[in-house]
Amino acid sequence: MKTVTIVGVGALGSHLVQFLRNLDVNLKLIDYDRIEQRNTRSQFHSKGGVGKGKVQHLAQTMQFLWGIKVGTVPHKLTSDNDDQLLSGADLIVDCLDNGEARRLVQGFVRRAHVPCLHGALAADGSFGQVIWDEDFKIDDEDVVGAATCEDGGFLPFISIASSYLALSVQEYINNGKKLGFHLHGGGAVRR
Amino acid sequence: MEENEAMVNVTWNGNNGDLPDPVNYDSTDADILQMVQEAVRTGGVPGIPADQNATFTNFVVDRFGATEARPNKLISIRPKTPFGS
Repeated sequence: MKTVTIVGVGALGSHLVQFLRNLDVNLKLIDYDRIEQRNTRSQFHSKGGVGKGKVQHLAQTMQFLWGIKVGTVPHKLTSDNDDQLLSGADLIVDCLDNGEARRLVQGFVRRAHVPCLHGALAADGSFGQVIWDEDFKIDDEDVVGAATCEDGGFLPFISIASSYLALSVQEYINNGKKLGFHLHGGGAVRR
Repeated sequence: MEENEAMVNVTWNGNNGDLPDPVNYDSTDADILQMVQEAVRTGGVPGIPADQNATFTNFVVDRFGATEARPNKLISIRPKTPFGS
């Protein structure tokens, strides 16, 4: 069975995990972050999980709701552990929220020749990308730690972007096709 | 469309549309952004309402070569997308 590794289970990543529940793959989740109250407005994390690790709580939720086991790696991705944490994946999905970590993922997938799909959102929730690594340009935050699109008002758009990510993953795993999308308020454009 | 030309797709304020005419694929990012800004300000992009205050200085220019699914080159003008988590 193939392994899909999801790096970052915040806004996009947490929803992506539940949208992949029907796919016959091993899911491995990497994120060192803990759930904060505000995360529950835009992420697939419940109030009961506040204070807990995101990957552990999401794994519990997947087990509780659908009886699905997922692998968890509650560690921060660094240049010292990227090879160890990311190796073994048949597909890596980057749902990170900062350029520094994205560069680690991109560096690994290009070194190791592992297919990689990126999910990326504009800060104002007006635009999103589901894009394969060969076409992906990393955009840094204008100000490190700047506000993100995680306000609850962006939840519908985040969910749409996550759905397209899941569609791309499913299409790749089942048929080997690489679909990319640009997403905006009016819909999705295939890229 | 000539081989060295590309359609330009623009996303502004949640709306999306194409410039009516193709541009030279080798145009500089600055030239393309200036062209797009002028077009959006004057309502020259179908699908995007005119916005006299539109500013594209911080936008990204992506260039996509022709593929089997998309026979023409494409230039995409989009906001930065630093977030996912």
